[in-house]
Amino acid sequence: MNEKFARWSTLFFLSLKRDWKKIVFWVLGLGLFSAGFVPAFEEITKGQGLAAMFETLQNPAMIAMVGPTPAQSASEYTLGAMYSHEMLLFCALCAMIISVLHVVGHTRKEEDLGLTELVRSFQIGRQANSLAAMMQVLFINIVLALFVSGVLMSFGADAITVEGSLLFGASVGIAGILGGAIALVLAQIMPASSGATGASLGIIGLLYIIRAGTDVSNVDLSMINPLGWTYLTYPFVENNWVPLIIALIFIIIMMILAFTLEGARDMGAGYLPEREGRSHAKRSLLSVRGLFTKINKGVIISWLIAFVIMGAAYGSIYGDMQTFLSSNEMMQQMFTHAGISIEESFTGTIMMVMIGLVSILPIVIVNKLFAEESRMHLGQIIATKVTRGQLYWTNIGLAIVAGVVGIVVSVIGLGGTAIASVGDKLTMGMADFFAAGFNFLPSVLFFTGLAALALGWAPKLGKLVYVYLTYSFLLNYFGNILDLPEWFSKTAIQSWIPPMPIEEFDAFIFITITVISIVLLIIGYLGYKRRDLLA
Amino acid sequence: MSEIVTIQGLQKNFGKLQALRDVNFTVNAGEVVGFIGPNGSGKSTTIRILLGIIKRDAGQAKIFGKDVWKDSLEIHKRISYVPGDVTLWGSLTGGEIIDLFLKLHGGGDKKKRDYLIKRFELDPKKKAKGYSKGNRQKVGLIAALSADSDLYIFDEPTSGLDPLMEAIFQEEVEKLKNAGKSILLSSHILSEVERLADKVVIIRQGEIVETGTLDELRHLTRSTVTLATEGDVTEIAAIDGVFDFQQKDNEATFSVDNQYLNDILARASKLGVKKFESVPPTLEDLFMRHYEG
Ligand SMILES: Nc1ncnc2c1ncn2[C@@H]1O[C@H](COP(=O)(O)OP(=O)(O)OP(=O)(O)O)[C@@H](O)[C@H]1O
Ligand SMILES: [Mg+2]
Repeated sequence: MNEKFARWSTLFFLSLKRDWKKIVFWVLGLGLFSAGFVPAFEEITKGQGLAAMFETLQNPAMIAMVGPTPAQSASEYTLGAMYSHEMLLFCALCAMIISVLHVVGHTRKEEDLGLTELVRSFQIGRQANSLAAMMQVLFINIVLALFVSGVLMSFGADAITVEGSLLFGASVGIAGILGGAIALVLAQIMPASSGATGASLGIIGLLYIIRAGTDVSNVDLSMINPLGWTYLTYPFVENNWVPLIIALIFIIIMMILAFTLEGARDMGAGYLPEREGRSHAKRSLLSVRGLFTKINKGVIISWLIAFVIMGAAYGSIYGDMQTFLSSNEMMQQMFTHAGISIEESFTGTIMMVMIGLVSILPIVIVNKLFAEESRMHLGQIIATKVTRGQLYWTNIGLAIVAGVVGIVVSVIGLGGTAIASVGDKLTMGMADFFAAGFNFLPSVLFFTGLAALALGWAPKLGKLVYVYLTYSFLLNYFGNILDLPEWFSKTAIQSWIPPMPIEEFDAFIFITITVISIVLLIIGYLGYKRRDLLA
Repeated sequence: MSEIVTIQGLQKNFGKLQALRDVNFTVNAGEVVGFIGPNGSGKSTTIRILLGIIKRDAGQAKIFGKDVWKDSLEIHKRISYVPGDVTLWGSLTGGEIIDLFLKLHGGGDKKKRDYLIKRFELDPKKKAKGYSKGNRQKVGLIAALSADSDLYIFDEPTSGLDPLMEAIFQEEVEKLKNAGKSILLSSHILSEVERLADKVVIIRQGEIVETGTLDELRHLTRSTVTLATEGDVTEIAAIDGVFDFQQKDNEATFSVDNQYLNDILARASKLGVKKFESVPPTLEDLFMRHYEG
């Protein structure tokens, strides 16, 4: 290879060696998650399970979450069809996200940390590092694909065919590589690593939400979506390899783009311009609150935009619901039987998912205070008349406000679009949407409280709150599909809250969870007040 | 003389590591105290305890007679601090950050701020992300120097500054000193400490090994003497307290424990002194002695 990429293989092996534990964890964890649920699904297929599941998953809320199936009737809906239908999109998303984090972590982040500067002083090509990182993602995802295929086949189930297993594995693997390629492009464009990670994840989230809309309205449109090229391969049913080929071409184009962009920029710089700033601070900056607002502004605004779009995407589905129902008698009966409208049922389910995502924002903000601390940003502030209490409570306050605003904008996005697309026929008003959204406020506060607890006592564990959030999210997500025991689904905080308008508002639970959250915040403060800070 | 900073028997452990074993020293009003010691000896740890950033495990630490942990707020109103590695928010400009620090400190002198920005040749409109190491350091220094405090705590404040800027820093500190402010200055740049400090505190492996004015410390160590005599200079070598004796004709160079200087002069005058030069030990010499243990 030419000068620019000189000795990339050295870096490739070096970081494989350095990261091998992480890689093993990645491949085993994601691989087993992707392929290991076959026995659990076999349980569901017993008796009338498959047919019932086929009907459940015709519900637009479900399609919006897991995607469509090509199976026309319950008889075509085999174990394999169900497995790929319920699992593939989600696994593909996970593969993409991990690859994004890996690529940005090994390229832009190292650059920001000044490691690249050191590496480049050796006999190593200017772009060798990026190539090495990309090759690593390629390598890991190929191993992952083979592993997933192997595990799937190992269960020896009839409906899990060899071709389907290979395709399933390949789809997950390609999704990972796709994520890596997108991240590599954004690592060149954005001015810093946090921006590159944020933008990549944002784009993936956006693609996911857009496909939720197109999957329900017109699946063909989902095929113009890069994310569509991964889960619309329909393993075990149509076994369509074409999307993967399109994805590969796209990946190659993205890589060429990334390397061209990288070749033309300076180390440490991006393509988004830096403007000259002010020589004096605006009055609004001159306080702890002003400072925290300023440093969290980018994150808050991006997430709020994401929430509105997410709400709007789900909201647009309401318009198709009645058409959908009229073509599906079984579903029609189901809803008449249950005594609630399809819209109400959808609202309840989707709200739980959306407010689960809204919880990310307060966690991000609470964890940001520790990030600031680890970057040694607080020493000079602590040395002024600012108290620890001020730092802590200002941060918590900002997190809670952001969470509340997050709920508001998601609700407006969802309800506004729903009302606009259905019109007068919609039995629900804006107030019902707000009630359904704020019903979950205690869960947002609870996650804020957990993050605050970590901040006060064991700040390094702050990241675990994301793990618990993901866990609860998965439980809620799959709880609709799998028949989980009550106690198990109750380990997710949201499961305690009866979703409105499907069920009645439960004031006791609302208040209890809120009080617990406040207690967590206070305990967190007691820790923050007395622990050693990094500065 | 009133004590501004009082530290007694200070201890701090990080897990198994005993970062501070026994730290004792004081900073008096109007005094500049140089705080020196090898890497990892506990200077920054001591300073962080003084600032209430970390909590001590044992001992006493007071500023203005108040406990540094419990009354940190009262104390912080009257102190300024510059760390050795000023880290800044990349998205804010230097000017904005200085204003923010001043405001959080409780207001400073706007005129002095602008004057210092000019003196240190800082571009206040540039985003902090784009600052070099030295420029980041200037932001911290300008903010601290333009705040009106009674005690200034500097932890390797000039790391990364060019010699010109360092000289400006020293001038500014001298102004503070003349205005009767107290200063605790930790630094590896010994010429800086030598020029500014009234008193030097040397720490090694978490313990204070030496405290005193430069003169006092000098007294503890050896000066380098060059002596030329009319008679035979060789006999000087036999005197107690003379080391590293080197002779060339009737001119000798040696180091001598200061308390024996008188003996040497007495003996030399009998030989007829043609030349006598004594170079006091530099702080560097002093320091080496303690560094090397
Ligand atoms: N947060 C911490 N956790 C664990 N160990 C620490 C921590 N902070 C400091 N130490 C250790 O305590 C000892 C004293 O460190 P300190 O930073 O006070 O040294 P220093 O005298 O300022 O050194 P330098 O001249 O290099 O700045 C070192 O061994 C250091 O590794
Ligand atoms: Mg230090």
